[in-house]
Amino acid sequence: MSANQIATAPVFPLWLIILLFCIGLASVFAQYRATRDKLGKIRALIISSLRLGAISLIIAFALNPSLVARKEQRISPAIAILVDTSQSMGQSASREEVTRLDEVKALLTEGPTPLLGTLREKFEVNVYGLADSLRPLEANDLARLVAGGNKGDISEALQALSGKHSVAVLLSDGNLRWNDNQVQQLPTITVPVGNPKKYRDILIKGIKAPALGFRDREVVIEVTIKSYGFTGLTLPVILKDSEQLLTARSIRIQTDPEEVTASLSFVPTEVGQKNLSISVPQQAGESVFANNQINISIKVVRDKTRILMASGSPSMNYRFMRTALKSDPSIDLLSFVILRTFSDILNVRTHEQSLIPFPVDTVFSRELTNFDLAIFDNFNYSLYLRPEHLESLRNFVQGGGGFAIIGGPNLFNEGRYGLSPIGEILPFRFAEKEFYRRDSPIGVRLSQAGAKHPMLRFSDDFREDDAEHLRFWQEMPPLDGINLVEAKSSSTVLIESADGIPRPILTVSEYGKGRVLALATDYAWKWYMGMVARGKGNQPYLRLVHRMVRWLSRDPSLDPVQIILPEMAASTGQEIDVRIQIQGEDPSGGSESAVSFSVINPEGVRIESKLKPTPQPGQYLVSFLPAEGGVYRIQVETPVGHLEESMVVAGPLENLDAAPDHDLLEKISSSTGGKYLSQGDDLLKEIEEYAQKAEKRFVEEKRLPVWATPFVMALVLGLLSSEWYLRRRWGLM
Amino acid sequence: MTLGLTGGWILSRPGLSIGSFFPHFFFTQLKYRGGEWDPNPLFVEAIVEELELRTSIDARKERSVLTISDPELFFCPFLYMAGRYEFEPFTQQEREILRRFLTYGGFLFAEDTVGARGFGFDQAFRREMKEILPNNELKRLPPDHSVYQSFYLISDLGGRQVVNPYLEGITIDNWTPVIYSQNDLSGAWSRDRYGKWVNQCVPGGDLQRNAAFKTGINIIVYSLTSDYKKDLVHHPFIKRRQNL
Repeated sequence: MSANQIATAPVFPLWLIILLFCIGLASVFAQYRATRDKLGKIRALIISSLRLGAISLIIAFALNPSLVARKEQRISPAIAILVDTSQSMGQSASREEVTRLDEVKALLTEGPTPLLGTLREKFEVNVYGLADSLRPLEANDLARLVAGGNKGDISEALQALSGKHSVAVLLSDGNLRWNDNQVQQLPTITVPVGNPKKYRDILIKGIKAPALGFRDREVVIEVTIKSYGFTGLTLPVILKDSEQLLTARSIRIQTDPEEVTASLSFVPTEVGQKNLSISVPQQAGESVFANNQINISIKVVRDKTRILMASGSPSMNYRFMRTALKSDPSIDLLSFVILRTFSDILNVRTHEQSLIPFPVDTVFSRELTNFDLAIFDNFNYSLYLRPEHLESLRNFVQGGGGFAIIGGPNLFNEGRYGLSPIGEILPFRFAEKEFYRRDSPIGVRLSQAGAKHPMLRFSDDFREDDAEHLRFWQEMPPLDGINLVEAKSSSTVLIESADGIPRPILTVSEYGKGRVLALATDYAWKWYMGMVARGKGNQPYLRLVHRMVRWLSRDPSLDPVQIILPEMAASTGQEIDVRIQIQGEDPSGGSESAVSFSVINPEGVRIESKLKPTPQPGQYLVSFLPAEGGVYRIQVETPVGHLEESMVVAGPLENLDAAPDHDLLEKISSSTGGKYLSQGDDLLKEIEEYAQKAEKRFVEEKRLPVWATPFVMALVLGLLSSEWYLRRRWGLM
Repeated sequence: MTLGLTGGWILSRPGLSIGSFFPHFFFTQLKYRGGEWDPNPLFVEAIVEELELRTSIDARKERSVLTISDPELFFCPFLYMAGRYEFEPFTQQEREILRRFLTYGGFLFAEDTVGARGFGFDQAFRREMKEILPNNELKRLPPDHSVYQSFYLISDLGGRQVVNPYLEGITIDNWTPVIYSQNDLSGAWSRDRYGKWVNQCVPGGDLQRNAAFKTGINIIVYSLTSDYKKDLVHHPFIKRRQNL
């Protein structure tokens, strides 16, 4: 025992201990003086010494002395083995008959002395799989491991493992995400798998396409093609809408590897969701075929709703409707007003009047299909249009165009409308000889169908039985003139006259793919000024006209059922949530059974999906899990209508660039202070070297309290006993 | 002859309820307090005849007369206001009604039949317009304004007198709800029951009267079509004709 092996930890302040010792010393000295005369100097000194020894020992206990024993210890290094399990590891390894992942498994677990077993004997070894996330693997997991998932984030993984491990071993083909700016502390030995020189593939590396396109405007899609091992090849890049070829461009591959960008453009002619495919032909010897095609979805909308309006004469109805149409920036209006009929006499030379010829042939024979909607406003067609023009108009509606006919004395012209080629598209027929009446003002009211029709729902809060909604129309100013018509059975009356026999005022119907609306009055402008007169502004009239246009042009926002697709790109294996919004009242009364929902996979098979209501009225959430890539159709059936939408789900190997990237592995090892394992290097030896470098040692310290030992206690007792014995012997007691 | 032809065309249309005919256009004259609200009581018939003869507009030969507070005001397509002398200021309520009417689609054609700038009716009318539409000034309408092109291509305004070779107006966005003249157009239109013109047009005589009718028709067509003639489809035609 040496002095530096004893440590003290006083239980009292040191000054107090010294003070106690001094007091003890003084009392012993006093005892010596008291006994010296009686016993003599020698004996008094012996007794006092024994007392001093005992007191000193007892006071020394307050110093809490302990014996310190130190011992150096060694920590066994922890090694993290990271196995890349992303989908590229399912591709061929250096030996083409096995996958890269199989090669990794063999390296770790096979051979006369399996690497993993050897390492576990010497070190603490933790094995992890890395793809979409980092996950620990149990002993049995390794054998069952299959390649799948996206590129793993090695930067995040090393960050997570740092501190718990001394060294990491990464077995990968280099298809990883790596952040150059993130400082890594964990030395990483990278073990490359796969052979970049033997890899051959052509893939669609990237797409730049707008999510939104405008009808009749060019949509440009930029496609980046990447090639490995196909130098000198010329191949087409093809853009298709289902099976219809839209366009194609040839590209030539000059070097290896190479990225070539091609621009593909097309002009969508119809609104709606376009599911397009972009592909390059498969080549012999390619590693992956699935990445030769990619599906994209573009929503095609109107940039503007183009309206052709023909008015029979200048009128308040024309002006207020023009005001409403012009107030919507999404509407492009071309109107012709008949300022002068054939019976009107012109009293000036041509250059003194501003009238222009009505280009009937141009508009109705050639340009009609460029419009979304045609409006006849108190228009006597028989004076201007020939049968072929009306045929053209009928075909326009049949093909999906909208047609609105607005009443007035010129409109029906002795019923000839009914007999004309467009008679069949009109939603009404003439009931009486009298076709137009201007006598007493006529009030209007909503029909049962009108109360729930989206066109007349000026506010989302309106409900079918909303008294305010019904009263709104009942309080509208009366009309000074109406056309006397009878609705066809195929049409729906939304607003009818409230006085006497109910007469259809606003009637709608569908014809072919198009929609037709008839407003049997030229006094709807009074609904505008009537509201202004009551201090309520012009918004109700403007909204009515805007909603008429939207309904006629099949604006999806007015559909009773809407399917809201997720904004993020969908891919296989990820649950997809789709929202269904049923406008206005909830037709099911909150019951899921009234809403039927189907998801059809690319093979045309209905797949499992879950439907549940959300806290928002009329809104439902549907979830499904796509197992394969392609176009999925979503069908909704409700009591108020049905709708089908489609969405693209990316396949598992779509966009896969599986070329081994060993350069990245080299960068990872050098950035972390590790090593890139070249051919011929002994992995076990390298690991051991790094593990030894990282081996940690520490000194273990043990303390034994001295006062707690029996020897010290016996010594104190011995001193006190000796003093007591001598005192007795020498006659002091 | 003209009237007969026009009337015949209208009345010969079968199916229309005869006797209940209610045209698209009619004058509604504003009656106000003070001054003289009706300086040309016989102006309607001749201009309506001309309107029906030259255009496709159905019009009524009788005018309506109402005050600002009349609830029918908002259903009058063409509000006409004329006068010679200063009139009493409108009440705040009347101003509010007119503001609402003019801001939300109504149309007012006003005439100072004396043509004395800064005096009488002119002074009172400008004062009221400042009160009613304080943020929109009564300004001279530019030569390419739709009112000069709505039916005829007008270069001379005409009138009983030619005080201003232009019209003035208040424009809100692309719509001019107030048009103001000091040329006494209605004086030029006025005709008595025997078919004689009530006023001489000086100094231009019949040519000046014809121009007044053309201007009147253009103002009426403008009130029913707004800036229709500003649509792109009309541009090349109007430009070509103006260059002839």
